[in-house]
Amino acid sequence: MSNTKEHTVDPQHWVERHGDYLFNYAVVRVNDRGKAEDLVQETFLAGLKARDRFRGESTERTWLTSILKRKIIDTYRKKYTSKESSFGEHEQTVFDGDFYRSEEPFRGHWLEGMGPNSHSLLPEGELEQAELMKFIRLCIENLPPQLAASFVMKMIDEEDSDTICKELGITSSNLWVMLHRARLRMRDCLEKKWLN
Amino acid sequence: MAKGPGYRMMVYMSKRMIACDEASFLISLREDHRLGFRRWWQLKMHLLTCHLCRKYAHQIGQLNHSLEVYRDQCSNELCEHHLSPEADSRISKVVTRELNAK
Repeated sequence: MSNTKEHTVDPQHWVERHGDYLFNYAVVRVNDRGKAEDLVQETFLAGLKARDRFRGESTERTWLTSILKRKIIDTYRKKYTSKESSFGEHEQTVFDGDFYRSEEPFRGHWLEGMGPNSHSLLPEGELEQAELMKFIRLCIENLPPQLAASFVMKMIDEEDSDTICKELGITSSNLWVMLHRARLRMRDCLEKKWLN
Repeated sequence: MAKGPGYRMMVYMSKRMIACDEASFLISLREDHRLGFRRWWQLKMHLLTCHLCRKYAHQIGQLNHSLEVYRDQCSNELCEHHLSPEADSRISKVVTRELNAK
C-alpha cells in the first residue's frame, strides 16, 4: 500500500469493523434481512476484487458503502423490472381506486375512511418517537416493491430525481406518480397502524 | 330524495375545481418540483374548500420531517440492525477464503 494514500484497506478486519454498519445500511433500504446479508457479503467480495483500485481518498467505510449502494440500486432495478412489479399503464394516472371515489359526480374525492382523520402524525415524547421509527420501517416494508424503490431512493438516500429516473429507467412523470402513491400509502399506514 | 341547494353547489364546485386525487398529487409534487402558476392556483383553491386535503398537506409535511429523523437515526447506527452471529461467521469465512486464495 502506498504511503501517499490517506486511507488504506484492511480486508482482514472488514467484517468486524464494517459488517454491522453495512448490514444496517442495507436492511433499511431493502427491508429484507436475508437479502441485506447477501448484499454485505457481495460488497466485501467486490471490494476484495477492486482493492487495488482503492485510491485512499475516502475512508475504507465510505468506499465499501459506495460499492454497497451500487448493489442496492441493482437490486431495486431487478425488482423494478420483474414481471410481477412492472409499472402498468393503469399505474401512470394520478387516480388511485384504493383511496378515491370512482362514481360521478364526486369522482376523485376521498373515499370514506381513506382520507386523513387526525391532524398530526408527529410523536409527543421520546418514547413515541422511537415507536414511530419502527412504524416507518414497517410501513416502508408494506409498500409495493416498485413504489418502495423510488420512495427509498428519494426520501432515504436523497437521490435527485434525474438519477432515480436513470437508474430505474422511468420518466419523471412516472416518478412523480410513484412518489405520490408511496406517500399516500405511507400516510395511511402510519395513521392506521401507528396512531390507532 | 330532493337534492337541496347545498348539494347542487357541491356538484357545481366539483365539476369546476380539481378533485382530491389531483390535489393530493399536487401536494406530493410540490415537495419535489416547483408548481406552475395554474397548478399552484388550482391547489390553493382546492385547499381553501377541502379540510381533508388541508389535513393531508399538513400530514405530508410531518411525514417528511419524520423521514428526516428516521434517515439520520439510521445513518448513525441507531436502527439496531446487526448481522446475526451465523451471518457474521459465514461472511467472515467467505472473505478469509477469498483472501487466502489470492
